[in-house]
Amino acid sequence: MLFNSVAFLVFLPSVVLLYYLLPHKFRWLLLLLCSYLFYAWWRVEYLPLILLSTVVDYWAARKIHRSQRTPIRRLWLSISMSVNLGVLAFFKYLILFLPEKDPMLLTIYMVDHPILGVIVHGLYFAIPVGISFYTFQTMSYTLDVYYGKTEPENHPGYFALFVSFFPQLVAGPIERFSHLMPQLKAKQFITYERMSKAFKLLIFGFFLKICIADNLAPIVDQVYEDPLRFDLLSRWFGTLAFGFQIYTDFAGYTLIAQGAACMLGIDLMDNFRTPYLSSSISEFWKRWHISLSTWFRDYLYLPLGGNRVKTYRWVFNILLVFAVSGFWHGANWTFMIWGCIHGVLYLLERFVWGKPKQESSILVKILHGVRTFVLVNFAWIFFRSSSAGDASRHIGYLFESTGQAVLEIQPFVYLLIALFLFTEFWLYNSRIDMRLSKLRTPVRWAAYAFMLFAVTAWGGVANHPFIYFQF
Amino acid sequence: MSNEWKHIVGKLIWRIPLLILLVVGFNQLYSEYFYEEDLDKYAQMLLDVQQMKDSCEVLYFGESSNFSYHPTRDTLEDRISDFISYHFPERKFGTVNHAAYHAGLYVPLIERIDENSAVKTVIVTMNLRTLDQAVRYSELESAMQQEKVMFSGHPPLLKRTFLTLNFFDNRSALDRDKLKWEEWTHDVLSSEVDSISFPHPSIRSWCEQVKFPLPDGTEDMSKRALADHYIKAYAFRIDETNPRVADFDHIVETCREKDIKVVFNLLAENVEYADSLVGDNLVWLMRVNRDYLVDRYTTENSIVVDNLEAVGGYHFTDQNWTTEHYDQVGRQIIARNVADAMKHFGY
Repeated sequence: MLFNSVAFLVFLPSVVLLYYLLPHKFRWLLLLLCSYLFYAWWRVEYLPLILLSTVVDYWAARKIHRSQRTPIRRLWLSISMSVNLGVLAFFKYLILFLPEKDPMLLTIYMVDHPILGVIVHGLYFAIPVGISFYTFQTMSYTLDVYYGKTEPENHPGYFALFVSFFPQLVAGPIERFSHLMPQLKAKQFITYERMSKAFKLLIFGFFLKICIADNLAPIVDQVYEDPLRFDLLSRWFGTLAFGFQIYTDFAGYTLIAQGAACMLGIDLMDNFRTPYLSSSISEFWKRWHISLSTWFRDYLYLPLGGNRVKTYRWVFNILLVFAVSGFWHGANWTFMIWGCIHGVLYLLERFVWGKPKQESSILVKILHGVRTFVLVNFAWIFFRSSSAGDASRHIGYLFESTGQAVLEIQPFVYLLIALFLFTEFWLYNSRIDMRLSKLRTPVRWAAYAFMLFAVTAWGGVANHPFIYFQF
Repeated sequence: MSNEWKHIVGKLIWRIPLLILLVVGFNQLYSEYFYEEDLDKYAQMLLDVQQMKDSCEVLYFGESSNFSYHPTRDTLEDRISDFISYHFPERKFGTVNHAAYHAGLYVPLIERIDENSAVKTVIVTMNLRTLDQAVRYSELESAMQQEKVMFSGHPPLLKRTFLTLNFFDNRSALDRDKLKWEEWTHDVLSSEVDSISFPHPSIRSWCEQVKFPLPDGTEDMSKRALADHYIKAYAFRIDETNPRVADFDHIVETCREKDIKVVFNLLAENVEYADSLVGDNLVWLMRVNRDYLVDRYTTENSIVVDNLEAVGGYHFTDQNWTTEHYDQVGRQIIARNVADAMKHFGY
């Protein structure tokens, strides 16, 4: 089920109402069933994959905890990692090694072999939604149990809910067991303040996704599909627009997820903190897709030795972590290159140009911020392009003038972009619900009214699912 | 009720009416300043209907068959609807035209013609291929269903929101392809109703047969591909489960309620070429389907103009393809047949 669908607008209030009407001891069951329904709405065939992850990690963590012998503990950890990474590798990366097939023949095969056809579909057409997110979430749980950071969960129902909690099931934030589970178990009470906060997160999330990301999507698509058709200004605009599209798309999704969870009394972690206002690459990664970058920090970078190793080893660690985080996004070398570009920029920042200090002047910080913004957007070209060749050609086209066509953009889109930029500065180091709460009532209501009108009347109409669903 | 629930209800008691007022106001604002621009962008056909319904006595609903012409042979590029109108110079005709449209799209447009409008007759294109699997599960369908959202009679702001939230049949091309192949594989061409045993069990089995063997043991694959295309286009049995039948039923019912006459213009197909390429069996199916439509929709209020075999193969502009595109002579033949049929309703 997509957040930006009528089905979800019916589903969410129904779940919330039932949740608070039910006695506490049955709520986990309601949320679990609703989470499975939420997932099955898209494709019921892939539900067994979630169940597989759930069962394996439930047992593996318990076995790890019970055993005192390191080889046994390692064995169970290996089983958990192998199953999760195996499923991920199978559906996400095997395609790199498979021969190309005629889509029509694959379709006929799926019709003739419904069960094997599910696998063919996942391999060739669309990976099972959310697989990268829920496998990483369950792996973090097993690793935490292995490292003794947390106790294993005894209740299989609650554990299943931890893996599949619907607001963050398909695109995160990738939650940690120690943060999410106590909240799932706690008896939640409905409060006006909580509902009000949820409403603020939801309306701003929908605004970002529907009004900004979905209106930018066709602009970006046109420029990336046929850059030579457009004049230089349009090419630059379309290229920069992708940076805003992916951010508003993913941040919008996260806010809706946080809003939906908030209605059920659960606070999900923040995933974005105005990343484009970062004054350095290292700061950018503390503000962009926080749940994934902290995952890689805790479960890959630190186990590799972090920064407590020799310089050459540290450089290797940094490049490896960025390359892997790029590859996490999918089976395309462009993602790997994108990750490596960030790794190299991170190292250049460390060894060559440095980053502004706390006491640096505003001007210095702004100049560093502009450079960071430009570099991040340069890297996005690789992320968005379908191949490395396309990306390098696209970069070349940004400096040669051939096309004549000008992007046709409706005036209200400029207004929406301007408002979005304004809110970014306004939200620096804060969050929309906190900022809105501090406004005087008439101003706050005017903001609500504007967002409501924009969402209903100015939303993008092309069918653009959330970008991160494909990862 | 707990204190917190009371607190929430107390807060919402004036916020909900305010929200409703806001939404009503937004609907007005949107209708006044943005709706027409959106219709122009996403639902041009509805604008056409709105502009013509109070001035035209006859509305023609058609697809590309209406406006396509032969680029070298034709001296006149007039549409079928224009040729029909020349038979009735005293009546005002209007044309609602969009490539690839079918009855499912005409239904909401016809619903928007109110009883007090000037429209007394609608001529609705009945394209046999719009009932087949290839067209019903075409990848064009999602885009057309998106336009259909704006055709409905809901408040404009609600329609625009539905458009944004993709609240329409928005299946992927792959899902549609799978449905198409499932029907081609499993639908039987024999009829249980009239106990007719057809020599080919399904479309797929028919397509899989060798049709044009060559002396060297291979097959003329270009001819076979074309023959298979014809089989997929025309080898099906119409019954009540076909969604287009429901659409045609809906058109007849809606028009009956509004006292509007319906003339279904069953378009000509290149039967000669189908016969020469695939043979009698395919032509037989085409005729069976034609008979079904003629029988079902010849009522007090509606009539079917049977043009299926009215146009000779030479007059099709795409000689080797299944499109219903005719040269000037072909368009004039169809127009004359429709005009003659309209006289049935006293024109």
